[in-house]
Formats: sequence, structure tokens, C-alpha cells
Amino acid sequence: MTKLSTSAKVYLAMVFIVLYAPIFYLVFYSFNSGGSMNSFESFTLEHYKAVFEDSRLLVILINTVIVALLSALISTIIGTLGAIGIVTVKDAKMRNTLLSLNNVLIVSPDVIIGASFLILFTMVGIKLGFASVLLAHVAFSVPIVVLMVLPKLLEMNKSLIDAALDLGATKKDIMMRVILPYIQPGIFAGFFLALTYSLDDFAVTFFVTGNGFSTLSVEIYSMARAGISLTVNAISGLVFFVTVFVVIGYYFITSRASKRTEGQQ
Amino acid sequence: MKQLIQATIAILVVSALLMYAADAMSAGGGKSGKDTLTIFNWGEYIDPDLLKQFEKETGIHVIYETFDSNEAMMTKIQQGGTAYDIAVPSEYMIEKMKEEDLLIPLDKTKIPNIKNIDPYFLDLPFDDNNKYSVPYFWGTVGIVYNPSLVGDLDFSSWEDLWDSSLKRKVFLVDGAREVIGMGLNSLGYSLNSLEDSELRQATDKLITLAPNVKAIIGDEITPLMINNEAAVALTWSGQAADMMYENEELDFAVPEEGSNLWFDNMVIPKTSKNIDGAHAFINFMLDADSSAANADYVGYSTPNTAAMDLMDEEVVTDERYYPSEEQRDTLEVYKNLGPDYLGKYNELFLEFKMSIR
Repeated sequence: MTKLSTSAKVYLAMVFIVLYAPIFYLVFYSFNSGGSMNSFESFTLEHYKAVFEDSRLLVILINTVIVALLSALISTIIGTLGAIGIVTVKDAKMRNTLLSLNNVLIVSPDVIIGASFLILFTMVGIKLGFASVLLAHVAFSVPIVVLMVLPKLLEMNKSLIDAALDLGATKKDIMMRVILPYIQPGIFAGFFLALTYSLDDFAVTFFVTGNGFSTLSVEIYSMARAGISLTVNAISGLVFFVTVFVVIGYYFITSRASKRTEGQQ
Repeated sequence: MKQLIQATIAILVVSALLMYAADAMSAGGGKSGKDTLTIFNWGEYIDPDLLKQFEKETGIHVIYETFDSNEAMMTKIQQGGTAYDIAVPSEYMIEKMKEEDLLIPLDKTKIPNIKNIDPYFLDLPFDDNNKYSVPYFWGTVGIVYNPSLVGDLDFSSWEDLWDSSLKRKVFLVDGAREVIGMGLNSLGYSLNSLEDSELRQATDKLITLAPNVKAIIGDEITPLMINNEAAVALTWSGQAADMMYENEELDFAVPEEGSNLWFDNMVIPKTSKNIDGAHAFINFMLDADSSAANADYVGYSTPNTAAMDLMDEEVVTDERYYPSEEQRDTLEVYKNLGPDYLGKYNELFLEFKMSIR
């Protein structure tokens, strides 16, 4: 890689400052004993304590994580199979149509998706709650996973499959030992993207929550009506730290994987 | 491949553990059984200790959910899906819900504590004889301002908003009824006016306010006023109370010409599965002690006279939140205007918005 020029470095630094400043501002005030974001009085952990004492808020936080993990997992499985399916379609026109249909779901407004799910679930008779939220999250994550896995599949050399066939591999072998390992980085990327989509989704989730089941985004939104209290800052801070850890974990998984493949070569 | 399987198993194990944790934690809040009560309320609009106390006293497990707008609340109730036993809509929404046949008439014999409510707040046009609703909190629309930034204006009259010293200093709440209503009030008309000429005059008058208007926004007004980034804002008394709690410099005034009187009310939606429990909850909330505790926590004005006797003298005699009888006579509750006039109000509000540059 060529070295960045000074102006490029400054520009990059500016972009990162703009992106991270609001988060740091928010996290900074979560340690404020003053009770508001006007002025910083002194350091305190009372808002974090308040989060951990509020069992309702904690349950909501845990629910949010469960929904995110499970919906990301399920949509990754469905999306990966879907991407493989789309690639194997021979007719180019048909394949493009399928891809466009996939993309339409990504760009359609969340509010509309949410409202249609609400109507569908109540019509079919699915009780609003954990199941409905999970289903909705899976549904809007699948197209994203498809989009993340697809480039890897297209990039894969078809001769790999031919070679495997020549060596006597069965269909199952090809799937397990050739295709899936090859597209693994795409699968992980899709999983993590689905995870973040699920974590921060408000509009869709708002429509399909019910019966005491709620997620963090919905809860914070209705809390914010009375002005953002520092408990919100504290919980947002916690989520931010967890996300950072997840990203670091993801980095280690991928770098270990790439080292291993390098070692094999 | 091995990695994919490992990752999948890891995710499943973590999810299972988290589910177990969540389950253990919510069990601490009370045994969940057939006897549950699902409450749908605005965010941060109840003292959480009261829910615990109610659970303890009655043995009914409470599921508490929140919404952020009347419209969203009604959509969820209309669609079913969740069996809400209690909802807390504002007065105009109650009229709509009545029209859509979404509410269950209240059995007054099960709510003896309704005697605690000030008769002034009962039997109002949106719900004759309180057939479907009992008041929860109430308030007004007025002007919150920072005295150090507005000179000697005290906003005892709506005219003060037009003062030339307030150029680009006024925030308005983004609501057609509130803003057009203010225009009508400033001319001495009713804020439920159905006279086209009055509405025209009010809009024309509002357009002359345009140079003073800095922005028309929603809940974001709260942090802006708290941080002294704005001098004057038209908003609801409850929101003003929040701002003044955070920033003691601020003051609130309801102009003499009159203004809006709003209500949030407890109702029992048709979806209710625990009607007895819902009545018990309403009665519990109307109890003097719980009303007082709730008003202390939430900071809005309570319609409960028995509770006011228990509350801090300074709070309940504060005429900014508990207006004098004399001023009360100038306040009006929104009437349902019907779709035609509602559309007209929205159109005029849009015209006013477009005049702001």
C-alpha cells in the first residue's frame, strides 16, 4: 500500500473525529454526577449502578442481545444458502431479477416493513413478542447477508469445483469442503452486519413488540421523550463498549483465519 | 467449516445462557401467572415503585410497556396482538378511539376513588360523564422562557411573542393544533374555531411572527432550552416542567388570553383480558397516596385534589402548573374538529411553516 499524504491523513482524522465525537460526548457525560449534560461536575459511576439495579432495563438489554444473536445466526444460514442458490441460477435474466428483489428489501423504508409485519403477524395470529421480533429481524437481515456473501461466491474460481469433482468429491463434499470454507469471510461479515442491524433497529421492532417484550432501541426512544437521562447515556456507553469488544473479537477471528490459510498455502 | 460450526454452537450457548439470565431476573419481579395486567403508557410517565406496590397489594403481575405518540399507541391497540388492559391516551385520541369502538365503558362502582378527582376535570366534552376514561395528568400549553435572554418580557400576553427584540429566538412545537390555536387565542378567538375568517386572520397573524421563529421542532426543544441555546419556546407545561427542573433559570407562563388545557387519561381498551384488574389499577392510581407519589415522581399536574393535600405546598400553589380558577376559565380543551377542519388546520399550519425563511 502506498503511504498516505499528510492532507489525506488530516482528512481521515477529521472524518473519524466527526464520527466518534458524539459517542465520546455521550459516554463522557455518563460519568457525570451533575445529573444532566449541561456541565461536568465530578466523576461518578452511579448511572451505571442505576442500570444494573433496574432489572427491567437489564432484561430489555439481554433481550436485545438474544434477538440480535439468534436473528443474525438464522439469517446468516438462510442468506448464505440463498446466495448459493442465486449463483447457481444459470439464466442471467432470472438471476438479476432475484438479486433486484433482494435489493428492494434492503432499500425499502423500515417503517413500511414494520407496518406490514404488524399486519401480517396479527392476521396470521402470531402473538406479538419475542417470536414476532425475531422473525421480523431475520426477515430484514437475510437480504443483507445475501449481499455480503454473494461477492465471495462470484469471486470463487469455478475450476475449484471442477477440480474437486475430478478428484471424486461428492456434492456434499463440495459444499462442506470447497464452497463454505471459501466464502467463510463473507459469511462472518454477513453475520456481524446482521447483528448490528438487529441491535439498532427501531422502526421495525417498534411495530412488532408486545406482551412485555421490548428491545433497547424502542425503550430508549420512549424514554427520550422526557429528555435523555444519564441512565440512557450509561446504557448506551455499555452497548458501545460491548460493540468495540465484538469488533476486536471479529478482527482476531479473521486475522487468525487468514494466517491459517496463508500457512496452508 | 469447523470454525463455522464452532461459531454457531458458541452463539447458541450464549443465547441460551442469556435467556436463562433474563428469565431468572424477570422472575424476581413477581411470579408470572394468569393474573397479569398489561399497561401501555408514555415513556417515563409513572413512578416505578407504584407498580411494585400494586403487584404486592393485589398479587397481579404487571407488564409495563411504553409508547411515544398517541397515533402509534392507537395503531397497536387497533391491530390487536397484545392484550393491553390499560392505556393512557390524550383527550383527542379518546374521541377517536370511541369512534372506532376500541374502549370498554368503565364500571364506576369499582372505582370509588374517582371522588378524589377535582370535578373541574370530570365530564368534559371529549368524554361525557367519564364513561370511558379517568384523568391521569393534565397541563396547559404555554411559553417557557429564559428571563435573562428576553429583557423585561413576561409573556403574560401572547403578543409578547411578536416583540421585535425576539428576532429568530422563538421555538415552536411542531403541532398544528398548538400553533394555530395560539394564533387564534392571540386574537381572542376559541382554539376550536370553525370559522374560516377567524382561521384566516389567525394564520395571517402567525405569518407576521415568522421573522421571530427560529425553528419548529418537537422534543428536541427540551435539551436546547436546558442548554440556554434558545430564549423562548411554545410548549406543553409538562415539558416545561422537565426543562425547569434541569435549568432553574427558566420560567413558564400561560398567557392571559387563554390557551389549551390537555389531558392524559386512563382507559380500558377492548383488547383487555383482565377487566377487573384494570379497574383495580385505575382505582389504585386514583388513590390519594399513589397519585401524590406519582405526581412527585413525574412532575406533571395531578387532577387529584386529595393528592394535592398530601403534596408539597409550594408545588400545588404554583400557578404556573396549577392555574388559578380565574385563569382556568380561559383554558379550553381541544374538541374533535372532524376530518375536514383538521385538514384545514394542517393546511394553514403548513402555509405558516412555508412563510418561515
